[in-house]
Amino acid sequence: MADYAHPEVLVSTDWVKEHLDDPKVKLIEIDVDTQAYAAGHVPGAVGWNWQTQLQDAVRRDILSREELERLLGEAGVSPEDTVVLYGDNNNWFAAYGFWLLKLYGHPDVRLMDGGRVKWLNEDDKELTPEPPRVTPTSYESQGNSPELRAKLEDVRRVLVEHDQNLVDVRSPDEFTGKIIAPPGLPETAQRAGHIPGAKNVPWSTAVAPDGTFKSTAELERIYLQEAGVDPDRPTIAYCRIGERSSHTWFVLKYLLGLDQVRNYDGSWTEYGNLIGMPIER
Amino acid sequence: MDHRARVYDSILELLPSEENPTPMVRVNRMNPAPEGFTLYAKLEWLNPFGSVKDRAAWALLRDLEESGKLGPGSGRGIVEPTSGNTGISLATLASLRGYPMLAVVPNRVPLEKKVLLKIAGAELEVVNDELCPSPGMGDGSINLAKTYAKAQSERWAMPNQYENEANVRAHLESTGPEIWRQTGGAITHVFLSLGTCGTATGLGRFLKAKKPGVKMVAVQPTEGHDVPGLRNVGQLEVSKLFDPSLIDEILEIDYELAYTRAVELCRTEGLLAGPSSGLIYEGARRVIERDREGVGVMIFPDDVFKYTSNLVKHLPALAQGVEPEG
Repeated sequence: MADYAHPEVLVSTDWVKEHLDDPKVKLIEIDVDTQAYAAGHVPGAVGWNWQTQLQDAVRRDILSREELERLLGEAGVSPEDTVVLYGDNNNWFAAYGFWLLKLYGHPDVRLMDGGRVKWLNEDDKELTPEPPRVTPTSYESQGNSPELRAKLEDVRRVLVEHDQNLVDVRSPDEFTGKIIAPPGLPETAQRAGHIPGAKNVPWSTAVAPDGTFKSTAELERIYLQEAGVDPDRPTIAYCRIGERSSHTWFVLKYLLGLDQVRNYDGSWTEYGNLIGMPIER
Repeated sequence: MDHRARVYDSILELLPSEENPTPMVRVNRMNPAPEGFTLYAKLEWLNPFGSVKDRAAWALLRDLEESGKLGPGSGRGIVEPTSGNTGISLATLASLRGYPMLAVVPNRVPLEKKVLLKIAGAELEVVNDELCPSPGMGDGSINLAKTYAKAQSERWAMPNQYENEANVRAHLESTGPEIWRQTGGAITHVFLSLGTCGTATGLGRFLKAKKPGVKMVAVQPTEGHDVPGLRNVGQLEVSKLFDPSLIDEILEIDYELAYTRAVELCRTEGLLAGPSSGLIYEGARRVIERDREGVGVMIFPDDVFKYTSNLVKHLPALAQGVEPEG
């Protein structure tokens, strides 16, 4: 991991095993498959449900600062703790959790490289269905970083000024407008296609077959050389509902070390529903 | 056991063997080169629990019993990721033996199969595992079943059809000898599909040892398919039983043909074949048009009864005229 721009935000499964009893390290599992945590998790890990806990229950928005403070408090986290996130599908939703925690200013957040599947397939790693014993805290956010989030007006500005990279991390079929959303998903849009000028790099391109992130050299080739992301410009990553793009946001900002990378969480389900917006196919 | 009278003391006695093989039926009107090529369909749906998977399920269950992971007093049940047929066979066998069974099922599996699993006595855990393709280890149902077996090993043992050699052994010991005897050693081509690869690896090992020239032809659906039980070529690495050295040819065929050919087999040959059999037939047809001579056996995994909802999705005309008019 040493050659990443910010290697400190990744930990290995071995590192997690060594820190299972470290009171300053708090483990949180976030999965796409919300049944997985109950079936078995890393001993001591708290489970968060992305569907019910990580978004506003009424209006469409990420959860509020107060809600995240409450969640972190219930998970027994203090602002000075190291929070290690992991999950299924190569840390897809764990990366979304990472983005939220950074957005609301938790200082030390890390991802377990390889996610739950790597842990699951290593013989020396234990899993348990037992809920962890947690001593709740009263968590107070230490500030926030709104510059990590892109909103619709930021995207509109890019359409006029063409001064930023847009990275669409959805599948090629969604990008080209062949489909609006992967089959069976409820969140969709009125129109298919992509934001004009966006480059298509499916999020999972960043991951090796064992679930860990690819090397810096491979990531540079994929994003900078092949897709043509200009490292000297700010970048906005987007997908369908803003979670897959947090994974790419993490790769671009922390592994490749690009300046000013933002996640557009409104993503295609906002953009593709608006009247009069330009769309490319 | 008297296979001539076909009177049995237990359903288990109907499990296939060289003495009690599944039938092979000659394909006539749909054979493109009947003068030089003899084509048979091996009707695996005539196994006691309805599919080719009876063979693997029985071998896997015995493997767990012999290793002591399952059995009276172990307190354990079976957890297995399954697209249906393995689960139905395993659940029935587990019920017979008195073990609980938890089937981890991808959501795309047709309703008929999910309900059958429950009828056979399994509990279901349904997983949405094709939300977004991810490389390598993204198969949610396999990982969830592994999680149960690892985190709750006192409750669940996992046969693991994707890794357990018993799956291969089943075909080495039954399907292979059956076909060898049924064709009198004249076999030249085997047509089948790869899922766990247990059938291909077991049959390939047996038949190639007997006759190295036997061609093993795998027929796989194109990407994006929803032919239950099969994997496209890019998904095969999921199975540790996949041995490419035994496969002479892999054909990739438009998955829509699985459905149209299955219906043709029903209407033309009287073979009530399911979609994977339809796909295998299409592969055989193409190879026979090229090779023109030989004796081929298609492994038809299961029949059409579990697939009415899938068929209607792909052949909407089937749903027309099924309600009273006006």
